[in-house]
Amino acid sequence: MEMPGVHPADDLFDSIILADEKFRGEGYQEGFEKGTRRGLQDGRRHGASHGAKLSSEISFYYGFAVTWKCLLQQSTDDKSRKRVKALDAVLALIQNCNLDDPQSEKLQDETEKLRAKFRQVCSMLNIPTDFRDYIKVAEGTSF
Amino acid sequence: MMSWVKSASLNSEDVFDENADELHLQSKEWTSNMKKRVMDGYVDGVDAGEEASLQVGFNLGFKEGAAQTVAVGRLRGILGAVWCWCQIQHPERPVPTPVTDLLQRVTEHETQIMEDIRKALENPPPSVSDVSESMDALDVEQEDPSLCRDGGSGPCCNKRDENMDVDNPHQNQKIRSGSTSCSSSPGEGLHLLLQCCMDLASELGLPQELMDHIHELGNIDRMSSMF
Repeated sequence: MEMPGVHPADDLFDSIILADEKFRGEGYQEGFEKGTRRGLQDGRRHGASHGAKLSSEISFYYGFAVTWKCLLQQSTDDKSRKRVKALDAVLALIQNCNLDDPQSEKLQDETEKLRAKFRQVCSMLNIPTDFRDYIKVAEGTSF
Repeated sequence: MMSWVKSASLNSEDVFDENADELHLQSKEWTSNMKKRVMDGYVDGVDAGEEASLQVGFNLGFKEGAAQTVAVGRLRGILGAVWCWCQIQHPERPVPTPVTDLLQRVTEHETQIMEDIRKALENPPPSVSDVSESMDALDVEQEDPSLCRDGGSGPCCNKRDENMDVDNPHQNQKIRSGSTSCSSSPGEGLHLLLQCCMDLASELGLPQELMDHIHELGNIDRMSSMF
């Protein structure tokens, strides 16, 4: 009858290796949990700052466009209709800016398109230059 | 006879002690080696854990942060448009002061929200393990609201402040910023600004549709404050 562990030396060697791995693994597990918590926290704080900035800019465009649309809808001349059409384009672009996925390249592209369209609308509406300077401050959020 | 037995047993004890010392040394080396293994694993684990979770945290925070500025950003846009409208309609006279003032207040309110988020970035709140390591820090957190109520000027507060300067500068900063802003929480502040904007819009005779948009912002803000 063969006993388990016929070579005691091998056995000892194996258990040393096993112990080595076991202790390393225990440390890794603990570290991984700590690192995950820390990563989540750090990432979350940085994400909040970036998200708040970009959302502020886009929300500003939305409020601005919606208000002008309301104000212009009272007049029916050609010029106003054209302006309302441009404002609708801004609002449509805002619909495309999905802030749920900050990693997507689409969000960056759509934001750039929106900024360009908004500048165009501002000149169509003859927005005073000092106010355009005020708007510029909020622009340029990095991803 | 008895002395021989005694010396023999003493000898054997000596021999045993030598072995024990040797064993002790070996076990000490073993323990220190295994402790090193644990530390090596820990360091690697922390790195791997951080790498795995940073982007997840960023995406989560991004959504939360974005929700915080939707209502105030839109309100700023609405007032900005009204401001421009006034100036374009009547270029010969300055924009009515209430419009300029309210736009200013909304801008400041938004800046404050951003500032609060940025501050949280610079002074991260202590993690659970940090707190449990220091019961003092836990006490401070609980005292915070009472500090707010008496404006942090009572003698006990000053004493506490002194202690904090030495013990925990981070916590100290937190209390100070907390006691200055407790008069108006962001939610309440926006609610008031929205009301002012409604009043202003009806004074200026702006369309009902716009009033509805302003009113709607109150609901958005209530939803974002769930975070």
